Amino acid sequence: MPNIYRILFQSIRYSKKPIVYQFCIIVLLSAVITGSLLTGSSVKESLKRTASERLGNTGLLITSGIRYFDPLLVNRLKEKSGLTCTGILEVIGNSQSFSTQKVAFNTHIFGINKDFFVFQGNDSINIKPGEAAINRKLADFLGIRIGEDLIIHFQDISDIPSDAPFAASGDEGRSVVLKVGLILNPEENGNFSLSISQITPMNLFVNLTDLKEDEGKPLRINRLIISKIDQVTSVKASEMLKSNLKVSDLGLRTRLIKKVNGYELKSDRIFIDETALGEIKRLIPSSAPVITYLGNRFSKGGNSTPYSFVSALPSSLYPQISSGNTLIINKWMAEDMSAKKGDTINMSWYSPDSLNRLIERSGKFTVQRIEEIKGIWSDSLLMPDFPGIAGKESCSEWDAGVPVKMNEIRRKDEDYWNRYRGTPKAFMAYEEGKELWGNNFGPATAIRFPSEMSGKEIEGKLDGSVDPGKFGLYITDIHADSQKAANESVDFGTLLLSLGFFLILASFILLSFSTSSYFDTKKKHVSTLFALGFRKIWIIKLLYFESGLITLAACFAGAFSGYIVAVFITTALNTVWSGAVQTDTLETYFKVLPLITGFISTFIFIMAFMFFKVKNYLASLNSKEKASEKRPSVFLNRSLLLITGLITLLLIILSFIFKDQQLVYSFAGGTLLLITFILAWVQLYIGRNQANFPGFAGSNQLSRSYYLDSPLNAITPVLFIAAGIFSIFITGANRMDVGGGTMKRADGTGGYLFWCENAIPVKEDLNSESARKNFGIDDPKLGEMSFVQIKRRQGNDASCLNLNHVSIPPVLGLDPSDFISKNSFSFSRILKSENITNPWQYLQVPAENNTFYGIADQTVLEWGLKLKTGDTLIFRSESGIPVKIIIAAGLKSSVFQGNLLVGIGNFSKYYPSVSGSSVMLVDGNSLLTDQIKNILNDRFEKNGINIEKTTRRLASFNSVTNTYLSVFGVFGAFGMVIGIAGLGFVLIRSYNQRKSDFALMLATGFHLSRIRKMIISEQIQILSAGIFTGVIAAIVATLPSLRNNHNLPWQLLILMIMAIAATGLIALLLSVRSITKKSLVDNLKKE
Amino acid sequence: MLSIKDISKSFQQRGLVLDKLSLEVSEGDTIAIMGPSGSGKTTLMNILGLLDKPDSGEIIFKGASIANYSDDESADYRNKNIGFVFQEHLLLPYLTVSDNIFLPLLASEHSRQEIVSKEEYLSDLMDKTGITQLKGKYPRQISGGEAQRVALVRALANNPSILLADEPTGSLDSKNAEKMGELLIDMNHRYGITIILATHSAELAKKMSRKLRIEEGKLTASPE
Repeated sequence: MPNIYRILFQSIRYSKKPIVYQFCIIVLLSAVITGSLLTGSSVKESLKRTASERLGNTGLLITSGIRYFDPLLVNRLKEKSGLTCTGILEVIGNSQSFSTQKVAFNTHIFGINKDFFVFQGNDSINIKPGEAAINRKLADFLGIRIGEDLIIHFQDISDIPSDAPFAASGDEGRSVVLKVGLILNPEENGNFSLSISQITPMNLFVNLTDLKEDEGKPLRINRLIISKIDQVTSVKASEMLKSNLKVSDLGLRTRLIKKVNGYELKSDRIFIDETALGEIKRLIPSSAPVITYLGNRFSKGGNSTPYSFVSALPSSLYPQISSGNTLIINKWMAEDMSAKKGDTINMSWYSPDSLNRLIERSGKFTVQRIEEIKGIWSDSLLMPDFPGIAGKESCSEWDAGVPVKMNEIRRKDEDYWNRYRGTPKAFMAYEEGKELWGNNFGPATAIRFPSEMSGKEIEGKLDGSVDPGKFGLYITDIHADSQKAANESVDFGTLLLSLGFFLILASFILLSFSTSSYFDTKKKHVSTLFALGFRKIWIIKLLYFESGLITLAACFAGAFSGYIVAVFITTALNTVWSGAVQTDTLETYFKVLPLITGFISTFIFIMAFMFFKVKNYLASLNSKEKASEKRPSVFLNRSLLLITGLITLLLIILSFIFKDQQLVYSFAGGTLLLITFILAWVQLYIGRNQANFPGFAGSNQLSRSYYLDSPLNAITPVLFIAAGIFSIFITGANRMDVGGGTMKRADGTGGYLFWCENAIPVKEDLNSESARKNFGIDDPKLGEMSFVQIKRRQGNDASCLNLNHVSIPPVLGLDPSDFISKNSFSFSRILKSENITNPWQYLQVPAENNTFYGIADQTVLEWGLKLKTGDTLIFRSESGIPVKIIIAAGLKSSVFQGNLLVGIGNFSKYYPSVSGSSVMLVDGNSLLTDQIKNILNDRFEKNGINIEKTTRRLASFNSVTNTYLSVFGVFGAFGMVIGIAGLGFVLIRSYNQRKSDFALMLATGFHLSRIRKMIISEQIQILSAGIFTGVIAAIVATLPSLRNNHNLPWQLLILMIMAIAATGLIALLLSVRSITKKSLVDNLKKE
Repeated sequence: MLSIKDISKSFQQRGLVLDKLSLEVSEGDTIAIMGPSGSGKTTLMNILGLLDKPDSGEIIFKGASIANYSDDESADYRNKNIGFVFQEHLLLPYLTVSDNIFLPLLASEHSRQEIVSKEEYLSDLMDKTGITQLKGKYPRQISGGEAQRVALVRALANNPSILLADEPTGSLDSKNAEKMGELLIDMNHRYGITIILATHSAELAKKMSRKLRIEEGKLTASPE
């Protein structure tokens, strides 16, 4: 007696051919799904591997951000805490080969000690003095070989921010000539990077001492890396850092002030910020801040004293000082101005505004007292070590960093300088001075202590006790962070599945057709089982088990084939699709989890599909009469057609009226038009009145009668072809082209010509007449050329070019006035506010409670940062204050992609050490594009300018989207191939169902060729209807793109449509050729 | 044993096929139903075998109303009480003759002892119908007459009380048709099976004790 398994296996053996079809389709489905998942997992694994390779042995990173610290800290951590660590000076600059003259912008320059490569486990690598080791990518880019010379340009390494008041002016860039000693491969840590990105950096390693400007200046570093081999947690390392940190590491030094017999703490940065002051006050409550400033002019009546220092002193240490709008002046000044107690003196000075621009201000003060220049009033050390003033022999040598009118300096002023140096001539209460001169860099130039405290006592209380974070020194588990960023990177698995949606859908439709055809062949068998008294559930089980067995085997084979698909996709991503990943280092990893996930998900998916398929099949078998009654109602279809037609028309009209929403309306209109057309075709098929054509009036009548009875056999392929063409067309139209059309103000370029990046930031205001003159860009021929100057705080690129999940993007500080006046750029999302009429105005709102607004590209917000408007991003200011940035708006795809934009005022407040503009947007006459570029290249050469057309920059971002669309296109093309195969299935099925009709025609005298012609005619009708529907609906859906003259790839689209038509026709002709006289006559015999 | 009362059935395309049709069937009856094509013979057979449901009317089997049986109840009813023979043999092409014959036993639970006794019974039946030597063959390897005999044995596999045969000789030549008719009568005599058959063949109908004619949806006695 047979059992169910025997029946099952015998049935499978008997129906080999249709089962092979099903098997192949399921293998394809499973391979695509598993391959996508495996690729996703491989991309993640590759990113993790890349991150590990870049970091080498680095586990933890101590960074001072844009500040510097003393390398002695490294030695202390090594010796006292036993950490394996090394210090690095990381700067970004340009490098240029002397032989090829090629320039590599964004070269990562690492000033390292000899122990760096030992730390990384590459003990044999040693960089000789005056030499550089460069990585393979930089060497290839520059076309440089070992032994050849190169020059590097980078911003000067200085503790004093160049925007700080009285920072010396002059060249802030450094250039160093080095010989290429080594070219490093990845395994030699050549691609070392502390950034989170899969893009291979261009690296240059040089001995730290070779970057030192002069012997007088101390060596500084800004990164300290701790080996992961030590297995120290960041918490433990933080404790070690704190216990080993000396204030001198942070540039804070004690010195004895003999005049007051006490000590003070002064900073290499000159100004001491509020956070550091608070921390020192916390540890030594008796400490008090002092601020000494340069007054431009003191005057009383017609008398005046130029360029004199004035100190604001704390009353806690200087009880003689009383608060209020009063001054104590020394006798020299009193005599110079003929001033006496009670007189009013006018004082003017330069102080930085919120943008760190120096503005001359003035105030009136009452003379409280006049003091002899002795004792505490003769304290020349109150004058900070302003680099352009301290140590100068005469006032005429000053380079004060502010405009000094040398002609106003008299002989007696020089004499005072010779005798008393910077001894202040006037004194006031600290609170007054802080109010007048406190700035973004800090409210003090020194911290003084009671005379009873010794220098050692002060250092003893501070060293090992200050919170490193309050001085901008942070520790991060960079290894864990980079692995996390890779883990949370762009999910290529899901992405590929969505890009391959059409292929998967096409496969499912094909599977549905092939399963239906297979079930059709089993109709009699199933009827027999019913007649024999088998319950429905038993038959469902039989069919389901049969399908399950095929599915199981096919999913298994498909899952393993998925690896081949993954290899193929990964190879493509490394080569032809590298635009999507910006790297060629991806590898395919054979991972069990995605393999099992792909296998199980495909299996479950197909089994669920099969379950419904089997149930529907049995239902249709049981109620054949009812099924034909289910033919769409003519009235209902006509009503639906009318409704969808009207809504489509309305949407198209709306797309012309509401220009800002035209994309949405057009797309909705196009999609609905596709549905309207489908309903129209249904109407055409079911609306024909059969009664008008009694009998076999002609072969057309037979076709009409057949499709009147089975309209879905015509509509399904129409829908399938139309949807395929619609998808391909939409994809093509949405390819982001950046031709001439994108130079409009509302576009992603903002209408600006160039995006420039400077290795050495430009300090001057390039829109001012004086700066233009200085740089030689004042030629009237250049017309309306203008600049938007932007400051940058480095971060990890959050643009779509970086696959990793980035949480700290670069912050750009800019003044949005130009964007507001020119209506530049467009927004996708805007935070609503009554007071804001233009989203850029959010950037002009000053910070409150360390909270202010920011703007970023919507794509970066959504996919990179995973934020929406109204959300808050928390950063740390350079002095360690947590800063909240509220996302006020999301820009439409723009040149700012990857960055977070904030107002320059707020930027300067929280990142005062970032001086000058690293980024510039240049506006000008587009007819003079080349001329402007040449001039900028020439005039800003010393800044290491890199000029990029905004259209080109935007195109580089769009290349990612375009590559995704290419992937979609390729998958879509495969989908179409499968779709055409589906069309073949429909044809065969319809032919099988109509065999008896054709046989009858043959018997009544029709020629076989006429029967074939009839089939070809009706199928061409179907093919044409599908193509027409797809093309027209897609044109309507993409009307805005067509109207904006985007360079639509017409040729490619027409070619693809022709290919679809040709493939369809070939499939049709081949199918029709298989209809032979014999096959029909055999059928007739049965009749 | 089986009675149908006022059965009506119509289809959208064909209109009314059975019109308040009634029939009383006693145990051991042999009934031939004749009539022109499209007169509703197959529809009536399908309704008797609960493969289709009437629009109205009653079906009583052994005193129980079965017209409104669910799909599963209908399947059980067929499996236990009805054997079907069609014009085409409808043997599963991928199963051997033996497997095809034993197939109905799979549709319901059987004890080991029952299986053994069924095996003896079916072996005897195969002997009597002359198909024992075909046991290991596939349907494609046997003739049409042999296949129809296999189909008959399969229909009797569960000892049904009623055998419904829809044009059982329609696909057979006269010699095989004659043999099939004799077999049917033999089964009736040997096992007391009630036979209801739909046929165009007057020869076959002659072998049945009752001859009925279906026309315009009604059953009438057929003239001899």
